[in-house]
Amino acid sequence: MNDQTPPTREERVAGLKGLGTSRKRVEDARFTQGKGNYVDDVKLPGMLFGDFVRSPYAHARVAAIHTEEALKVPGVLAVLTAKDLEPLNLHWMPTLAGDKQMVLADGKVLFQGQEVAFVVATDRYAAADGIAAVEVDYQELPVLTNPFEALESDVVLREDLEGQTEGAHGTRKHHNHIFLWEEGDQEATEQAIGSAEVVAEEMVYYHRTHPCPLETCGCVASMDKVNGKLTLYGTFQAPHVVRTVASLLSGIEEHNIRVISPDIGGGFGNKVGVYPGYVCSIVASIVTGKPVKWIENRMDNLMATAFARDYWMKGKISATREGKITGLACHVVADHGAFDACADPTKFPAGFFHICTGSYDIPVAYVGVDGVYTNKAPGGVAYRCSFRVTEAAYFIERMIEVLAIELGMDAAELRAKNFIKADQFPYTSALGWEYDSGDYHTAWNKALEAVDYPGLRREQAERVEAFKRGETRKLLGIGLTHFTEIVGAGPVKNCDILGMGMFDSCEIRIHPTGSAIARLGTISQGQGHATTFAQILASEIGIPADSITIEEGDTDTAPYGLGTYGSRSTPVAGAATAMAGRKIRAKAQMIAAYLLEVHDDDVEWDVDRFAVKGAPERFKTMAEIAYASYNQAIPGVEPGLEAVSYYDPPNMTYPFGAYICVMEIDVDTGVHEIRQFYALDDCGTRINPMVIEGQVHGGLTEALAIAMGQEIAYDEIGNHKTATFMDFFIPTAWETPNYTTDHTVTPSPHHPIGAKGVGESPNVGGVPAFSNAVHDAFRAFGLRQSHMPHDQWRIWKIAHDLGLHG
Amino acid sequence: MELQEEILISAPRDVVYAALNDPDILKSCIPGCEELIKHSDTELEAKVVLKVGPVKARFGGNVTLDPSAAPDSFSLTGEGTGGAAGFAKGGADVTLEDRGTETLLTYSAKAEVGGKLAQLGSRLILSTSRKLASKFFIAFAEELAPKDAEVAP
Repeated sequence: MNDQTPPTREERVAGLKGLGTSRKRVEDARFTQGKGNYVDDVKLPGMLFGDFVRSPYAHARVAAIHTEEALKVPGVLAVLTAKDLEPLNLHWMPTLAGDKQMVLADGKVLFQGQEVAFVVATDRYAAADGIAAVEVDYQELPVLTNPFEALESDVVLREDLEGQTEGAHGTRKHHNHIFLWEEGDQEATEQAIGSAEVVAEEMVYYHRTHPCPLETCGCVASMDKVNGKLTLYGTFQAPHVVRTVASLLSGIEEHNIRVISPDIGGGFGNKVGVYPGYVCSIVASIVTGKPVKWIENRMDNLMATAFARDYWMKGKISATREGKITGLACHVVADHGAFDACADPTKFPAGFFHICTGSYDIPVAYVGVDGVYTNKAPGGVAYRCSFRVTEAAYFIERMIEVLAIELGMDAAELRAKNFIKADQFPYTSALGWEYDSGDYHTAWNKALEAVDYPGLRREQAERVEAFKRGETRKLLGIGLTHFTEIVGAGPVKNCDILGMGMFDSCEIRIHPTGSAIARLGTISQGQGHATTFAQILASEIGIPADSITIEEGDTDTAPYGLGTYGSRSTPVAGAATAMAGRKIRAKAQMIAAYLLEVHDDDVEWDVDRFAVKGAPERFKTMAEIAYASYNQAIPGVEPGLEAVSYYDPPNMTYPFGAYICVMEIDVDTGVHEIRQFYALDDCGTRINPMVIEGQVHGGLTEALAIAMGQEIAYDEIGNHKTATFMDFFIPTAWETPNYTTDHTVTPSPHHPIGAKGVGESPNVGGVPAFSNAVHDAFRAFGLRQSHMPHDQWRIWKIAHDLGLHG
Repeated sequence: MELQEEILISAPRDVVYAALNDPDILKSCIPGCEELIKHSDTELEAKVVLKVGPVKARFGGNVTLDPSAAPDSFSLTGEGTGGAAGFAKGGADVTLEDRGTETLLTYSAKAEVGGKLAQLGSRLILSTSRKLASKFFIAFAEELAPKDAEVAP
């Protein structure tokens, strides 16, 4: 063999590093060498620093704000209050959920940590001194931290809404009520449950927690008064949406606003919304004519920016004696905090919670969700999940376990008995979703076999006997979960945020020498877009992934898109990338045919080239075609090789998975040990198996945190009790178990490359797997339901309440 | 948060009660007290620097005394704010039991704290409060102890 031997087809495919390749993440070179460029790395000449005076009270009237002493502090330039923002009509701002939120306290405060005044100073230290010198006269008001009490109480939280019986999502039935949102056939469901042979009823609480990205939220606003241009750097998961909202709020024309999301250190839903810090920084920059930076500290982030979950889900599930499910009903009391700032598509105030029939063929179902105001921070974002899908998955996977107890049946068998069958897809659920594809039985059987499920159950039964004989103090829990997600929001016909349709976009420019740049409307926060989108494109246009730059996050250059959250990047922007690539290829085909002097139809695509049909030795590579597209006059064809695609998905995608957690629990200390965790994910076509594995590991670890300890807790006077890492659980290597990952592949029939998205599956499926393991360990002793997080004290308490401590 | 303690003071009851109403003695005994103004027999205003864990702040507050059962017992309620550091409010019942030349002081206090103080200091707040209370009473007892026992250094 000599050097002139042309590469084989396999070698050409491998050289592209396209779909299915475990290509190393191109981002990691800078991240692992400290060369990332985050918002706090942005340092502009003359930059000022702004920070908030925050309320120590959860509910109080703000009688007066004294700023005189603060203004005397060296370095302090201004102290903004609601009074200063009012003439600009910026003292309140719209939320993504159709509510409004105070930017700065307007007459009262509604949660601890609420923004009261914004101190602008020459540096962070001077701002802190200024904050300490601001005096606020508060008059305490009664605090409501319990949503059930809030719905009964005479105390009016939102005085601004007093007398308004119509909210953004229908009638408000109480002054602390936000909406009642319903889906499904209530009457038929009640009838099915009422006449059922077996009914299981349970209150399932998914506690309040927080996405807690390691990089907190922040921005740098820079108003160039000479050119009339506002540049806003920030930790935005949806930079284009931020630009549009900033334009609508400020009145600055959209072309004069440039929003840049630099590297982002994790988002997980926390960085989707618009926060007072952004508004105040922009105003402060306009007022001072200087760039203004605002960066949260950890406590600010955990106290005031968007929390997640806090759903009280009362469920009823019915079945025949043989275990065939006949109906499902759920009523949710959703604690939204002081303002409804959920980041859900507009039409869905409870997100996609009505995916709560899960992986099961349930003939009839009903869901009702009551949103409630309380004296807690606003939010309710999708923490590493698609809008309220984690809540839904946790609910159904707990209800299945409770039903199994009621039936005296094995929970794995009960699941298998009720799965939607492979030949039922596309499947329309009782609550109206059209599941695109799935093969649950195959995945389930593979998972049960991988862990030797019958063997585990035998071991568990022996353990229970040994425990009763006093030979061990450890119990064994087997946590089962089969989840179905709904991601990739979404079709513009029913998904929008503040009226902006949830399409996404990709724009590709092929350079003359055959390399390329692609820009997308999404923004990576650690997902590895620069790696994986280049792989999609490599397989579509035959240019090696290593020769393709992926750029996102600058609204002056990237095409408009709705951003990255809800596992939507691959289903939507990934589809746009493939479609734009196909447009490139269509033009390339014409150019190749011209160069090869044959008809367009006489050439065919082959990995990285167009070849004459039947004469594969006559071909033009994509690089040759790119060069010709710029430098050769081709009759009837415009010069250049560029394409843009705006993709409106026809449907959501429905990734699924089977997770099994095997857990040892010490009943005397409440300490748990995860002996085995098996995670099978089916995310359709797999773009980069290594990146998928990383996503699954990360999502499972966040699920572990949520299930086993992480929470946002308040005391009865509204003190936020978990505002630091001393109290808010973030797992380290010490707590994190080893994970076994596996997969099946059921492509999405409507996605151009069949991909479904995976980033959030492990959080959606992981939480019920961990929680079910805890419950399962105590099933033999009569435990039905115990609320998360299952920290050591709470596990000890389960054992204690079951009388296992003698 | 609740605190309960008793301490034996080497002074007769009327002396102890008088001292508890003397702003100068109180100021010198309250840890971190910068200012104590007596507005009336039942109204006091104080400025105190407090440090709980990582939170240090100057608290300003008012205390109201209820001496209706004095000198057997009296109660007090108060509240103070420390700006960004948070706020505290609470009350205490104090009884003074006559033991001749000595007095047994018993108190039970209840307090509620909020803001950064409660968030950052929640694990420390009980122990810190106990420490501050015991510092006060040790200083108070020393203040009232017979001075003739003073020993030259």
